[in-house]
Parts: sequence; structure tokens; C-alpha cells
Amino acid sequence: MKNCDDIRGRLTLYLDDELRGEERAAVEAHLSECETCAAIFARELNFLNAVRESAPLHVAPPELRARIQKLLRVSGVAAAESRPRRASRLNWLVAAAAALLVLALPFVVWRMVRQAHTPVVRQPSSFALMAAGNHLRHVRGQLPLETESENAQQISAWFLNKVNFSVQLPNYQESSGQEKLYTLEGARLVGYQNDYAAYVAYRMKERPISLVVTSASVATPSGGEEIPARGLVFHYNAIDGLKVLTWSDRGLTYALVSDLEERGQQSCIVCHQGAKDQDFIEPLKPH
Amino acid sequence: MDSPLNNAGFGQTAMEHIDALYGYAMVLTRDTTEAEDLVQETYVRAASAANRPEDESNLKAWLFVIMRNAWLNQIRHKNSGPRFVDLETGEPPTVEVHENPHVVYLRKLEREQVREAIESLPDAYREIVILRDIEGFTYQEIATVLDCPAGTVMSRLGRARGKLRKLLSAWQTKTRIRAV
Repeated sequence: MKNCDDIRGRLTLYLDDELRGEERAAVEAHLSECETCAAIFARELNFLNAVRESAPLHVAPPELRARIQKLLRVSGVAAAESRPRRASRLNWLVAAAAALLVLALPFVVWRMVRQAHTPVVRQPSSFALMAAGNHLRHVRGQLPLETESENAQQISAWFLNKVNFSVQLPNYQESSGQEKLYTLEGARLVGYQNDYAAYVAYRMKERPISLVVTSASVATPSGGEEIPARGLVFHYNAIDGLKVLTWSDRGLTYALVSDLEERGQQSCIVCHQGAKDQDFIEPLKPH
Repeated sequence: MDSPLNNAGFGQTAMEHIDALYGYAMVLTRDTTEAEDLVQETYVRAASAANRPEDESNLKAWLFVIMRNAWLNQIRHKNSGPRFVDLETGEPPTVEVHENPHVVYLRKLEREQVREAIESLPDAYREIVILRDIEGFTYQEIATVLDCPAGTVMSRLGRARGKLRKLLSAWQTKTRIRAV
């Protein structure tokens, strides 16, 4: 086992995602065993998150944006309209239909992976790590919600004009006919890659569940156990004892974080226990 | 012949980085007008360049390299030399291992205070914090942008974050004293 000095000398590299393979595994193994180093790691992670969430420091003025677009056109380069800083009505309507599947998709994944599939395990993406970090901060009371509501429509409306993509939370429990297993708590903005991502907090029997959403142009799911299904690829990671599922669909990227015991696709069962799901769920239960 | 990243792909992707480029231009120039001019010059150079990167994932770092070179050219023409000073002195710090209670309070800092602290860093430190922690470049990408060894990136980043910690801790201390 590496000693504490060795590990602390590599913590910055680990936090900056500059370690690979055995070096990375050695740091993770030590952090899981050494409370002192884990505490130092947590403090440093908090510091870096505070810095990274300060983004963006500057936004290009609209006049400059228009000037560059014109310049590229004149130069013979087909400059597409840059993404607007605020969601347009059209984006809202288009993305709303896609986002209705947000929480239902893990269930679809589980069904598909009942077929034989050999998982490939790789390091989690920075988006998955960010989601897990923010989940932990929220659990510790370090990430207060900016709006609190159990109403999905209210939370969806709150994000309008705050992020440059559309967030439309489904009311899956009503549509599936299941009992109310989890409740929506609220939401806030979190920083990621020079922009804001949407953070939504749920609670299931006093256990917190986090959903983080951003544009697919900002975050690309990668790493972990890959679970392909219906043209999508879901990535399952265990990070700091948390279960993190990430995927992209129709222009958005999602991360679902929980500390539920179930791993991989089985974690889908927990939220999707509706009466309509029973025929899919029964075969997965332990015998 | 078109480069692997063709005109359409270049135009779409290049515009996605305009906020990041403007932010970096503000780091280099500290002036909104100069920053806008630098962004424009960067896009002019990029649009006419024959050596575009082979895929979109490398485009952002390539644009930053163009911007920094354009800025260095401007500085040379002004015969004043780059304003950034060499801050590499002493041993590079690793993660601070001592108990620092102020760091615990960092989570309570508003984004604005963090931004002010970053803006108040010395130029070379501010630049590397922006490149790593705001723009998310890897050490190797930063080394390419700054045209320096990756080891220099690591040591400078360590010192920059150390300075930033002190600035934020000092701000937190003042806030706590005022609150008493």
C-alpha cells in the first residue's frame, strides 16, 4: 500500500484527472482506507468545486458574436448560429418531448441488458464525477437548493431562461400507476465546463437521489460499465460509494446519482416499481 | 482540398468557443475593447489557417494557441514585451495537508467572491487557473497553449491555487470578523 505522503503528492493530479491505470487505482484504494487523506481530498475537492462553479467569468458581447459570425460567412466558412444563451420557445417544445423520458430511460436500459452483455469498465467521465461530487455536497448540506417544490412542472419552469437547454421533468409515478416511492425536493444551478448545469434533488425513503442535466455539447458520457440500449449507451459507475448512471439523448446529457444498494441496471428497479412494470421487474429480483 | 475538419464543421464548432475565447482574451488584455479585437483576430487567423486540427475535440486548444500567439505578436509590436512575469520560484507545492479551517468555509463563498479572487491573481496565475479550472484543459493542452513543459504547468498551477486559497481565506476571515 502506498503511504500517505506518496498519495498526498498525487492528490492534485488525481483531482485534475491526470492519473490513469494503476496510479489512479492506488490513490482511490488509499482514499477508501485512510480517513485522514480522504478528509484532505474532500477539502481540496470542495475548494476546486468552488473555483470551477464560478464559471463563466466573461461572456462574449452579442455585438462581438454577430461580428464573428459575419466574418466567418465572409471568409467562406459556414458559421452556424451559435447557441443562444437563453432557451428559445422552439427549443423548449422540442426538448420537452425528449426530456419526458428522463427518468423512464434507466428502466428501458435494464430491460435491454437482460440480454447477454459483457461490460467494459473504464474511468468515470468528468460529468459523472461532477454529479457525484455535487450529490455528496448536497447530502452534507453544502449545496442548498435554490428552489424547493414537489411539483415537477414548477421545477421545470424554474429552469426556463436559467440554462441554455430545456429541462422538463416527467411525473413518472403518475403515468406508471405506482405508489409514490420518491418525492421531488427542489433544484438549483451547478457549474460545469464554463456554464450552468441543472441539478434536481429527489428523496426516496429519506435517501437522496440527484439528477444533473446539461447540454450534450458540454458533456459526453464515457467510462464505467457500458450498457447499450436502443441506440443509446448508458454508463454505470460506482464513485465514492455512490451509484452514478450517465447517458445522452437528443441533445442533453444526464447523470443520476444515488446511494441505493442495487448496482448497474438493477438500480432501475428501485424507482420503476409501477404496476405496469411488474412483468419486467420480476425476473430481476434475487431468487 | 478541405482539411479533415471542413468549413461547415469548423464554423459550427468554432462559434461554440467564443465565450471561452473572449474570457481568455480578457485574461490576456484586461480590456474589453482589446479583448474583442483579439477574439476577432483569432477567428480571422483560424478561418484562413491550413492546418486545422483533425477533429473537433482539438479545436478549442488550437484556437487558444492562435489567440496567445496573436497576443504575443501584438505585444512584440508594441516593443513592451509580454507583461506576464515568471513566477516559478521555489519548490512547487503539493496539496496543502495541514488543517485549514478557512478552506472549510469556501463552500459558503458566493460565486462573485471567487470570481473577484481569480481576477485579482497575478496575470500568470490567473491565466493558468482559467485554463485548467474554468476551461478544463488538460496539463498537456495547457503546456501546448503556453508553449512550456507540462512540469511548469503543474508547478505554476500549484502556486496559483495556493495563492487563490489565501485570497479566499482572507476574504472569509474579513467576512467573519464583520459578522461578529
